[in-house]
This record gives sequence, C-alpha cells and structure tokens, in this order.
Amino acid sequence: MRIAIDTGGTFTDCIFVRDGRLEILKLPSARQDPARPVAQALETILGPSRERAGVELTCGTTVGTNALLERRGGRIALVTTAGFEDVIEIGRQDRPRLYDFFVTRPEPLVPRDRRFGLRERVDAAGRSLEAPSEEELDRVTGELERAAPEAVALCLLFSFANPTHERALARRLRARGMRVSVSHEVLAEFREYERTATVLANAYLTPAVSGYLEAVERSAGRGRGTRVGVMQSNGGIASARAAAEEPVRTVLSGPAGGALGARGAASLAGYDRIISFDMGGTSTDVSLIEGELRTTTESHVAGLPVAVPMLEIHTVGAGGGSIARFDDAGAMRVGPESAGADPGPVCYGRGEQPTVTDAHLVLGRLGAQGLLGGKFPLDEARARRCFERARGPLRSVEAFAAGILAVADTTMEKAIRVISVERGYDPRDYTLVAFGGAGGLHACQLADALGIPRVLIPKFPGALSALGILAADVVKDFSRTLRIEAPCAESSGAALRGPLACAFAAIEARGWREMKSEGIAPKRVRIERLLDLRYLGQGYELTISARGDFLSRFHQTHEQRYGYSDRSWRVELVNVRSRFIGQTARLPLRSRREIPRDAARVAMGRRKAIFPGAGSLRPADTTFYDRARLLPGHRLKAPAIVLEYSATTAIPPGWQGRVDRYENLVLEPARR
Amino acid sequence: MKPDPIRLEIFKNLFHSVAEEMGAVLRRSAFSPNIKERRDYSCAVFNGAGEALAMGDHMPVHLGSMPMSVAAAVAELDLLPGDIALLNDPFCGGTHLPDLTMVMPVHLGRCAPGFYVASRAHHADVGGSQPGSMGLSRDICQEGIRIPPVKIFMNGRIVPGILAMILRNVRTPREREGDLAAQIAACRTGARRLDEIVAKYGRGEVGRYEAHLLEYSERMMRSALRRIPSGVYRGEDAMDDDGWGNGPLPIRVAIRIGGERAEIDFEGTAPQCAGSVNAVYAIAYSAALYVFRCLLPEEVPMTAGLMRPIRVLAPLGTLVNALPPAAVAGGNVETAQRIVDVLLKALARAVPQRVPAASQGTMNNVTFGGRDPRRAGALFAYYETIAGGMGARPGLEGLSGIHTHMTNSLNTPVEVLEHEIPVRVRRYSLRRGSGGAGRSRGGDGIVREIEFLTPTQLGILSDRRKRGPYGLAGGEDGAVGVNELLVGDEVRSLPSKCALDVPAGGVLRVLTPGGGGWGKSGET
Repeated sequence: MRIAIDTGGTFTDCIFVRDGRLEILKLPSARQDPARPVAQALETILGPSRERAGVELTCGTTVGTNALLERRGGRIALVTTAGFEDVIEIGRQDRPRLYDFFVTRPEPLVPRDRRFGLRERVDAAGRSLEAPSEEELDRVTGELERAAPEAVALCLLFSFANPTHERALARRLRARGMRVSVSHEVLAEFREYERTATVLANAYLTPAVSGYLEAVERSAGRGRGTRVGVMQSNGGIASARAAAEEPVRTVLSGPAGGALGARGAASLAGYDRIISFDMGGTSTDVSLIEGELRTTTESHVAGLPVAVPMLEIHTVGAGGGSIARFDDAGAMRVGPESAGADPGPVCYGRGEQPTVTDAHLVLGRLGAQGLLGGKFPLDEARARRCFERARGPLRSVEAFAAGILAVADTTMEKAIRVISVERGYDPRDYTLVAFGGAGGLHACQLADALGIPRVLIPKFPGALSALGILAADVVKDFSRTLRIEAPCAESSGAALRGPLACAFAAIEARGWREMKSEGIAPKRVRIERLLDLRYLGQGYELTISARGDFLSRFHQTHEQRYGYSDRSWRVELVNVRSRFIGQTARLPLRSRREIPRDAARVAMGRRKAIFPGAGSLRPADTTFYDRARLLPGHRLKAPAIVLEYSATTAIPPGWQGRVDRYENLVLEPARR
Repeated sequence: MKPDPIRLEIFKNLFHSVAEEMGAVLRRSAFSPNIKERRDYSCAVFNGAGEALAMGDHMPVHLGSMPMSVAAAVAELDLLPGDIALLNDPFCGGTHLPDLTMVMPVHLGRCAPGFYVASRAHHADVGGSQPGSMGLSRDICQEGIRIPPVKIFMNGRIVPGILAMILRNVRTPREREGDLAAQIAACRTGARRLDEIVAKYGRGEVGRYEAHLLEYSERMMRSALRRIPSGVYRGEDAMDDDGWGNGPLPIRVAIRIGGERAEIDFEGTAPQCAGSVNAVYAIAYSAALYVFRCLLPEEVPMTAGLMRPIRVLAPLGTLVNALPPAAVAGGNVETAQRIVDVLLKALARAVPQRVPAASQGTMNNVTFGGRDPRRAGALFAYYETIAGGMGARPGLEGLSGIHTHMTNSLNTPVEVLEHEIPVRVRRYSLRRGSGGAGRSRGGDGIVREIEFLTPTQLGILSDRRKRGPYGLAGGEDGAVGVNELLVGDEVRSLPSKCALDVPAGGVLRVLTPGGGGWGKSGET
C-alpha cells in the first residue's frame, strides 16, 4: 500500500491509496516525538499487524528544519584547513541588519573548541601543495577522539577540485567508527563558507534525523517489499537510509511536498506554469514552477546558508495568525509577529491582539459554524470588541479589518514579486495555485494585484503536501565544480565534449550506484544534465540544460533575466549537474465529466460578507457553499465563500468559479 | 489630507521593492568580485525633486550621498527619456572615484521627470597611479579617472565614445564594461517598475503618497529626537595620520538637540590633509544620517524626510568637507568610520544606554594588482576590505569579525579569490583577545594573511593603528590594528597607509582592530 505522511506544525496529514481510491487521515502532530503520530497513522490505516508487507511509506518531515530552528541538533566537531577554523564564524563578514546597534547573528553550529585545523593545502587548480602527513592525520584524529562528538564535519579548501586530502582523513575517522560528513561528498562546489555551513548542518542533523527515521522504519515493519522514503528539499524522494546519511537535503521537506502537490494538481487541470501559494498560520510559502521544478543552491534556513539544491521556495512571515498594530508614525503593520496556535487569534478565545484570521471573521468570510467543520467554534463578538479597541484612527471595525487584509496582501504580493518579476518572469503568464488553510481567502485579491489571470484551488487544499509527497519521484542531484572556459559559440559542442563527458561520467557513476540502492530499475530512470554558466568574470551562474546549443540558450536566458547579453563575451562553465529521476507509479486520480450547471442549487445559504478589494465596505449578499457538495461542472457566481474541512475560499465580486473534472476549483475574472 | 495608513504601508513596500529589485539585477549580472561577491553597491529611487523615496538595504555610506549625485546630474545635464547619466567626481555629486554612479530619469510620458533611479557600484579599478585606485595619493588626479556628470546612455543606446574613454583609462576594461552594463540594467529595471506603479495607481495618487512617505519618515525622526534630552553634546576622536607623516588629525563634533531638531556641527575639525583621507561633505552627511537612522526602528523607510529635522554643518576645507584637489579615496571608507565614532561618543553622553562602544573604526582597505602569469601577463586589480571587532553594547557583547557602521560588504571567498587573482590566502581567522575588556566585551578583530604569487603592487588604507577603538562607561579600548609584510624570515611593520612593491612570495598580514568594551569589568 502507498502511504504519504506529512508532518506539519499542527497536524500530521496522511494520504493513501486504498482499493484504487485516495483517502485522507488527519492526526494532531507531536512536537516532542514526531514519529509517534506516524506510528499511530500506520496502526489506523493498516491495523495492528506485526507482519506488514508491501508498505510503501513516504514521509515529509520537519525534524531537520526544527532541529536547525531550535538548535537541537547533535554535538559535532569540524575539521578545516589549518588557519581557516573560524571561517564558519566569520561567515561572509556582513551583519544581517544594517541599522541596528544591537544586531546579533546566529551562533555557528559548532563552538570554537570543537573546530580543528589540519595542516594541508590544495590550490585553485586542484594541485596538492601540501599533503597531510601521517603524524598530522594522527594528531587531528586524536583531538577528535578526545572531543568525542556525535558526528564530525570535514571541509578542506578546494576539496571540490581535489578530494584526496579529505578522503584520507575521512577514511581514518570512519575506521575509528566516527560518523563523518565530508564536504566533497555532500556538496562538491566552490565557496568555502557556504560549503562548510552545508556540511556542518548535515553533521548537526545526523543524530536527530536518523533517530526519527529509525523509529519510522520500525513502525513500518520489515515485511517483504516494504520501503520507507523521505521527501527531500529538491522535490524528490530518497530512501530513509540515504536521507539519514545526508539529512541536510531534507530541511525543506514539507514545503517541497506542497509545491509538488500544487504542480501535480495544476498539471492534471492543464496548467503547467504556476505560482504555488501556501498560506498557513504563521507563514506563507510561494514558488514559481514552469513544468519542471526549479531548484536553487542559495537557500538560507534559520539564518544559515544551505547550498544543496532545494526547490525555489520563498517564505514570508505573514499568515492567518499575523498580528496587526500601528507604529509610532501611524502606519499599520501586519506581522511578522504571529499569535501562532497559542494563544492564537482573538476569536479562538485566548489571543489579545488582532490578527488576519480575526479580520476575515469580522468581515463575515469564515462561515457561521467555525473551522474544521464546526469542531472549532469562533468567538466573533470577542474579535469585534478587540478590533473596536485597536482600530486607531480608522473609522470602523470593518475598515480596520479591511486594512489588515490589504497590508497582509502587500507582504504576500512582494513575496510573489521576488520569485517572479525580480527573476524576469511575468506573473500574468501564470496560474496561482492556492492552498493551506487561508490561501483561498487571499488568492483572488493577490491575482488582481499582480494581473494573474487564474486561481486554482486544488481538491485537497489542507493536505496537498501529503498528496505531493505521495506522487513524488525519486530524485538525486549530483554536481561538480569545473570552472573551464567555453571557447566560443560556434564550436561549443565539439571543444567541450571531452571535459564535459568526463565530468558527467564521474558524477553519474555514483548516480547509477545510488539509484540501484534505491531499488529503481534502470529503465525507469531519466537523467537531466544541467550546466551552470556565466560570462567569464561574473559571480553568479545561470543553470541551463546541457542539451544541444546550451551557449545560445545561456545568452537568451541572460537577456531575459537581466535585460542584456553579448555573444562576443566569453562564457565560463562553472558546475556540471546531473539530476537522476526515478519515476514512481502514477496516482489514481479519477476525472469525471463536467456537466455545466449552476451551483446555487447546492448552496448552504446566503449571508452578508464584506469584500473590501473593490474599495467598498458595504456588506454584500454572499452565497456560502460546502465544497463537499460541489461537483464537476458546477458554476459559482460571486460573491461567494466556499467552506471545507480545513480551508476557506473567497470568490470576490468580479470573479467567477467552476469545478473542473478533477474537482479543482478554478476561479477567473468574470467576463466584462 | 491625512494619509490612509494602509496605502502608506503599501507605497512604502512598493518603492522599497523597486530599489531591491534593482540591486538584485546589479548583483547577479555584475562581473567584478567587488560587486558580485562583496556587494559594494547601492540602488535608490528618488522623486522628481530628487528627494530619496527608498534605498535598498545596501551600503550605509552611500545613503546620504546618492541624492547629491542626482542633484549634480540634473544640474549639469538635460536628461531626456532613455538617457542615463554617469558620474564619479567627488566634488560634483560623487564620494570617491571608484564609486561610479548612474542616474536615470523616469519621465512617465511628460516633459519633466517624475522620478529618478540611481545605481552606484564600487569599481575595483578606475585607473590612477595604483592598481585598485584606493592607494595613498597627494591629490585627486593621482587617484584615477574623474568623471563629471556625462551621458553614458542616450535615447536607449550606449554612447560609445564615453564608454571607450573610460575603458581606456582603467586597468581591467572588460570587467568595467560588464559592471557598467549591469548598472545600466539595474537602472532600466527600476524605471520600468516605476512606470508600472504609476500606470496602476495613477500619477496623482502616487504623488500624494510620495509626499506622505517623506512626512512619515520625518515624523519618525522627530519622535526619536524628542526622546533625546535637549542639550549640547560634544565628541572628539582622531585619524591616526594622513599617510605622509602628519597626524593625529582630530575630528570634533557638537550635537545640539533642541526639541524635535538636531544640529550637527563639525567646527574644530582638522584642515584637509595632504593624504587621501579627506572626506567630501556628502560623507559627513551620510555618517550623520546613518547614526540617527540607527536610533529608529529597523523598518523605517529610508527617505529624504529623515533628514528634514537635522542640519549638518561642516566647515569648508576641513577633513570632513574637503575642497579640490584633495585626495579623497579614503574619505568614505576610513574617515567616514571615524565620523561615526565621534558622533556616537557625543551621543553616548545623551543616551548612554542606546549607544555602543567604538567598533573597529576602519575598513582595512587592501588593494593590489600587477600582471597575472597564469593569464599571459594580463593586468589584474583587486580590492577588498577586512572586517574587525564590533564595539560592545550595553548588556551585549560586540560581534567578532564583522563589518560595522558605514560598510557591510562581504568577503571574497578564498576559493574565488585564488581562482581569479594570483595570490594564496594563508590564514583567515579571528584575532582572539583583541576586543576590549568590559562588563560586555568588544568583538574580536581578524587575522588575514595573503601571499602574493607574483610581483605585486600593494596599497593599504587603514586606520586605528595608533589608538584603539574607545571603550565606554569604563570599558577598555579594543586592540589597535597591525599591518605587516613577511618576506622570507623577515617581518616588516607597515604603516597604516602605504603603497609598495612586494616580491613574489611576500606575505601581507593584517590584524584588524578589536571593538571597545562597555562598562567596567567585574561590575554587574
């Protein structure tokens, strides 16, 4: 049986295939022991069988992210080239905030007294200038043994160009039974601070993540055909064993599942260019996807760089729990402070500060019976009293609520701009896929602001990450820094074929080994070859498919992103990347015929609600729907609110909706 | 009319995101390590009157001086749609020669521009007597090519003659060409975004909120000034020397706070000097803006409104308001830091709990160049600044190995530097124990050792080599910086400011100052 489980902050969502149908199960998360709800879910789904077999379990996990955020990783040690032990503390020598005399920065994951220097040196061309002597290797090994860390990170200068020194020390340490993360294995790319930080995070997460995965593997059982996989930040699955070795690849596990789920739902509906928009309680994740998932190697997690490939997901601190206030000079602020789940928004009964969720309630947009199908009542009178006190110079409670939403929307609009306009993509060419509890409440407003022509609310907006995980392929990324000059446009193919073939052959040998150990048959493996290119002398690369005339494509892409290009300038080939994709079986998502018909007949009723986008605070007669009763072909007229178990969608005036054959809700501006 | 608090927040975000977007384009498409790796650049948006509406979170030292670039470009040129002005003359809208600033008008289909956008980047070489153009000089003509406001871009096209004239006066023309292209791309991005914003909200509405935004910043500053007790607060500190044996060079300030206004007067500061640490007025102004900006909450929009309640007086012909032909390369990297130190020392008398002890007070500018044997003897030029200790804060230690105050440029990774420039970095670590003792300790400086693999011309502009960054409230001073040259077994001490030829195998060792301590040790 195929099961996907996504552990979130509040809920652990499970989605699984039984008798050819998708089913959903939601359990409360357990922050202290995230593996426990997983075991409970398996009990519920599979029964208490001791001899489970054929369980294909894939998990999205926040164990890695939380260990970094809360600094609850392992006790680790670091070995660097002698003289560079402090690189991890100096970082890039900049401060995170410019105008703050009291600025602080995250402490390194390893303190000074557990950082050790090895006398050795490799130069920029990969030549060994000084090999580490036997005595030197012994000395460092001895120091490490005395420090007795749970895991060791190893990062020597230029090891991506020549890994022999790292290998020599790693071999020795592993022979002594130490758990070692080695930089050229985890990330064979240049920039020593980012590489060190990444390998260090890997070592730091090893104890927590491998402990969690062992517990999950235990509950899945050791039956025949049972496999446990983990969602990685790059949007692909890795086996639990591989993930335990390289846990740094899982730090964006959950959000990656969301982006995948959004892509899956949109692609079935016929849309390949999407902006996924996942709005939760404290934060919002956005990502731009164009058919293929795009990854970046410039992510930061908990203020620390993590340079392994991750889906390009941008997170901002605005969600349903974001708190509104006025500042000294009278401007309204919303977030990043959040009421979270505890105390939560005012209408939950304990919060004291106005939040985005309260604003929706005050404007009549959350339905009368509360959240989670009535299991979670909301106290509107309490929210109104609070808004009356807090509304400052604004003329009414409603104006204050509308303002909160408008300000929250600008934060989210800015987030979408960062991933689209700032990178040369026009949002008008995309479909906004909104999910998470509050995504559907803000989607149309945002689409209006950015000129996005269409909003799609997928079928399971509250469990979309789990769905994405269930449908994910096995994906493994391999890379190596090359830094050679591409001769010139005309002869590119011929002159580079030799070195490129060599580099790809080297990293792909490892790729095939790992796919084999993941149990993927060679015929199900697809390889994407990518090149990081830049004009000779630039500092940032563009990642371009290695197929065909990649130089032309590089010039074009540069023009698109930065507004200029010059074919007479020389181009440098910085990194080669191979992405191995092992396809898993498709999901049994059924489509039904769309029978165009008015949804009004299945409406729950009508109530007054306010849609401030158009500038008016007049309550409008609004139709409320229960999503469970909407069928393919149903047409929805604005203004309308669609309620479902764990999400709410608003269709403001000027928009219209329909249910497509996969039961997605598709919203578009009404024809004028 | 009173502004709508919601629209106000929306426009604040809009203008700021334009500046940030410009910065992203510049950084990602630039060629020199100084821009792409070290991020030594700034982008900003101005209204039709040349008042700043938003600055990206880039380099503080550029903040107050960018508006002067816009003013100079507008005064000297008739900027038409599709034109971009370029300038670097410190005495006409610039700061020091390596900072090339571009100003582009945004006409919105009218005769007079409705906005200006500007991008400034520190170029690693602009000619002059030393590679890197940041060395010790006696006048500005030795420091490189001096560009008054000229049009580098006319009617949407580059002006080939201007570009060629610049490229023929610098050591690394290809890199300059790439960096200039990136700056143009940044300006055009900003202009396009402003067009979109006006198309969406309408000229009238945008104009109203420009004004509201400026008033908003002004109100923020006034309310901060109100919280400082009225009075006159004085501070004094000094630059070690001018590089030609003259020093110390005192900088003095009196800050007069009265109600919601402040007047900052540098009367009594040393006359401009023979070396290259002279600062033009724009720098003194930027430093003042920076210090008072730090008294406000982090998210205040960086607009011209902030300085409306503040006056900065700097006597002509002094270290903080130099006249031509003074050499000025070190003015906005070294003197700027000392101006901040002096202002903070004065402010500490007014609001002691809100002011840190002195940070390293220098940027340790190191420039070098020569011929690269790995690239058929092609010329190379490189510039970097080295971080140091941050001054201790009341109740909080200073951070170690970090850039403070007027700069926030990144380091160049060793794995990039050695690939591009014929050097080997031998050590890059914290200088333990260099922070001043105190109830809270100052941050530690850095030890950096660079070996030159080929005969190289080296230039250093640094300070705080004679007296360390001051402690406050009984805290001790941070350690002074040290510059040394190692050739064979010989260790030679180098002055704070110097230019010299280093043989292949020579090693430069720089120990950067630690931050001052805060409060007496042992007290709690």
